[in-house]
Amino acid sequence: MNGLFPGFLTLSAAMFALGALGVMVRRNPLVVFMSIELMLNAGNLALVTYARYTHTMAGQVFALIVIAVAASEVVVGLALITGVYRSGRRLDIDDLSEMRE
Amino acid sequence: MTSVRCASEKAMNPTFTMVLCAVALGLPTAGFLVSALSAGKLPRRVVSFLGPGVVLGAFVATLILLAELLAQPPASRGITVAFWHWLNLSVGSGGGAVARSGFNADFSVRIDSLSVLMMLVITGIGGLIHVYSVGYMAEDPGYNRFFAYMNLFITSMLLLVMSENLIFLIIGWSMVAFVSYALIAFWYQRPAAVTAGRKAFITQVIGDVGLVLGAFLIFLNLRGSGGQLLHSVDLQTIFANVGPGAHNQNGLGSMGGGLVTTIGLLLFLGAAAKSAQWPLHTWLPDAMEGPTPVSALIHAATMVTAGVYLVARFHPIYQQAPVAAGVVAAVGIGTALMAAIIGCTQFDIKRVIAYSTMSQIGLMIFAVGAGAYSAGMFQFFTHACFKALLFLAAGNVIHALGDEQDIRSMGGLSTRMKLTFGAFLVGSLALAGIPFFAGWFSKEELLSSGLALGPAVPWLWVLGVAVNVLTSFYIFRVVWMAFRGQPATSRASTAHEARPVMLIPVLLLAVLATVVGFLNIDFFGFHPITVFSEFLQPVVGTPSAHASAGIQALALVIGTLLSLGGLTLVWMVYGRRLIAADLISRHLPWLYQLSLQKFYWDEIYDVTLVRPTVALAATVTQVLEADLFDELVKGVKQGVLTLADDLRTMQTGFFRDYALIFFVCAVIGLVVLGLRLA
Repeated sequence: MNGLFPGFLTLSAAMFALGALGVMVRRNPLVVFMSIELMLNAGNLALVTYARYTHTMAGQVFALIVIAVAASEVVVGLALITGVYRSGRRLDIDDLSEMRE
Repeated sequence: MTSVRCASEKAMNPTFTMVLCAVALGLPTAGFLVSALSAGKLPRRVVSFLGPGVVLGAFVATLILLAELLAQPPASRGITVAFWHWLNLSVGSGGGAVARSGFNADFSVRIDSLSVLMMLVITGIGGLIHVYSVGYMAEDPGYNRFFAYMNLFITSMLLLVMSENLIFLIIGWSMVAFVSYALIAFWYQRPAAVTAGRKAFITQVIGDVGLVLGAFLIFLNLRGSGGQLLHSVDLQTIFANVGPGAHNQNGLGSMGGGLVTTIGLLLFLGAAAKSAQWPLHTWLPDAMEGPTPVSALIHAATMVTAGVYLVARFHPIYQQAPVAAGVVAAVGIGTALMAAIIGCTQFDIKRVIAYSTMSQIGLMIFAVGAGAYSAGMFQFFTHACFKALLFLAAGNVIHALGDEQDIRSMGGLSTRMKLTFGAFLVGSLALAGIPFFAGWFSKEELLSSGLALGPAVPWLWVLGVAVNVLTSFYIFRVVWMAFRGQPATSRASTAHEARPVMLIPVLLLAVLATVVGFLNIDFFGFHPITVFSEFLQPVVGTPSAHASAGIQALALVIGTLLSLGGLTLVWMVYGRRLIAADLISRHLPWLYQLSLQKFYWDEIYDVTLVRPTVALAATVTQVLEADLFDELVKGVKQGVLTLADDLRTMQTGFFRDYALIFFVCAVIGLVVLGLRLA
C-alpha cells in the first residue's frame, strides 16, 4: 500500500496541471468550470493521500469540507453563467471583458 | 513654619470641607453647563436667577469655609482635601543615581487663608457683578452665552486659587485665559473686540509658556530629605522641600542659586502676562472692548490679580531667589509708574480705569516681590472692591449715554446720576488713597512695608508716592470731566440714573470700598501685625523687617498729603482753572505725547515683533511653500500617475491572463518557500 503514495501524488499533480491548463486555454465558461472542479478534486486526492500516509483524520475531514465548498461554488458559478446566457450573450469568456482597462 | 503647617493638618473636618469645596466649585460649573448646553433656549428670566444665583451660592459656601477656618487656632488654618486620584504613574530611569519613584497627581484643593481670601473676592465681588450684569446685558442677544462664560470664569478662577496641585493650577490658569478671550471678544461682530481678544490670548500664552517651564523645572529638580528626586507636583510638598532646611544644596535649596532664580523668573513671566505687567502689559487696555461687567470682574478684580496670587503662593521660592524677587519688585513699581503716567492723558473712561488697574497691580506686584506678601494681598483685597466699583459705576454712565466712553462727551452728570456719582466718587477717593477710604490703608501699608526692605529702598518709596500722586490726579480728572461742569453732548444732558438691579451692586461695593480698609486698623498703633495680616500669617508669614515707627509715621503723613495734593491739583486745573490744562502739552510736548501714545509700546512691538513675523511668514510662504513643499507634493502626484498608467495595461480583461499571472505567482511563491525550507 505504501508504495502507491507516489503514484497517487503524481496523479493528483497531473490532474491539477490539466485543470490549470484548462482554465487558461478554454473559452467556454462551462468547461472552465469543469477544469476548476478538476483542480479541486486534485487537491482532495492529495489531502486524503497525506491523511492516509500520516494516519490522521484531518486530511479526510478537510477533503469533505472542500467538497462542500466546491458544491456551493458550483451553485454560484452556474447561476452567473445562466445569468450571462439569459442576457442574450454568447458563452465565451473572451467576450466577457468589460472590466478591462 | 512649614513644619507647623504639616503637623496640624488634622484639625479641620475633611469631609465637611470637601462638601463645601465641591459646592463652591460645582455650582458655577453647573450654571455654566446648563446655560451653555441649553443653546439659548432657556428663558432669560431663568438665566437671570441661575447665573448670579450659582455664584452667590458659591459665596455662601466660601463664607462657611471662612467661618470654619477662623474657628481653628491660627497654626491649624490649612487643610488639603483630595477629591480623587487623577494620575498614578511610575517614572524614573530605573536604577543608577535616579531612584525610581511614583508620580502621583491628585485632584486636590488647598483651603487656607490665602485661597479663602481669593475665593471670597471671586465669589463675593463676582456675585455682585453677576447681579449687575442682569441689568447691563438685559438687551443683549447673547444674554445666555454671557452668563455661561461668566460662570465658567468663576469656576476656572476658583480652580486656579484652590488647586493644591501644580497641574490643576496650570489648567485653571489657562482656562481663565480662554474665558478672558471669549469675553473680550464677546461682541464678535466688532473687529476691534475680536482683535483685542486675540491679543490678550496670545499674550497670555506667552506667559503660560513661562509658567509651564517653571513647573517643569520644579518637577525635575525637587529633592526630598534623603536627597532623592520627589517628582511631585503637590504644592505643599514643593514648599516643604524648598528653602533653608531642604537637603538639596545644588538644587532648589541653595539660596540665590541659578536654578531657583530661573524658576522664579519663569513663574513671574506667567504672572506678568496674567497681571498685565511690563513687558506683557499691552493687552489690558485693549481688553476694555469687552462688556463693562467683564472689565470689572476679570480685568480688574480677579483674573489680573492672579499674578499677585501666584507670587504670594510661591513665596518660598522667591524667598530663596532674591534676584528674581528683586526683578518682580522692580517690574512692578516700573509698570505702576508708567501706567499712572499714561492714565493721566487718556480720554476713554474705561481705558483710564484700565491703566489705573495696571498701575495698582504694579504696586501689588512690587509688594509681593519685596516680600510684603500680606500688604500686597491687602492691596489686592481693597483694590478688588474699589476697582470693581469704579468699573460698574463707569458702566452705569456708559449705559446711560448709549455706549459713549469718551469723557470729553460727558460732563455735568453729577446732577442727573446722583447715586452713581456718589459711588464713583467713593471709588475714586479709595483709589487715590484719601484718608479713611479702603485704598488709604492698603497703600500706606504697602509703601511703608517697602520702606523696611533696606537702605536702597527709599527711592522705591519715592516712586510709589509718585504713583499715588498721579493716581489721585488721573482719577479726579475723570471725576471732574465726566461728572462736573456742563454737559458736552445732548445725550449727557438727558442721561438718567441706572435701574435698581445695576445700582444696588454699585452701592454695596461703595460701602465695601469705604469699610474694608478698617480690617487693618492696627496700623495706627504701628504694630507689625494687623487683623488682615494676622489672618494671612499662617500662609505667608510676617515680613522680616520693619521700618521704625517714626519713619512709618513720616511716610504716612507725606504720602497722604501728596495724595491730597493730587486732588487739589485737579481742582485747580479742572475746577477753578487756575492752571491751564494744556500746560504740559505746551511746554513738555514730548512727555505729553509719550503718555498719550502709551509709551509707544504697541508701536515698538509692531516693529520689532509683529512685522518681522509677518515678513518671515511671507518669505516662508513664497520660498518654502511654493518652491519646495509644493514641488515635492507635485512630484509625488506625478509619480503616482505614471505608475498607475503603467499598471493599467495589466488590466486586459482576459480571464486567462489573470489566471496565468495567478499561477505564475503561486509557482514562484512555492519555489521560494521550498528553497527556504530546504
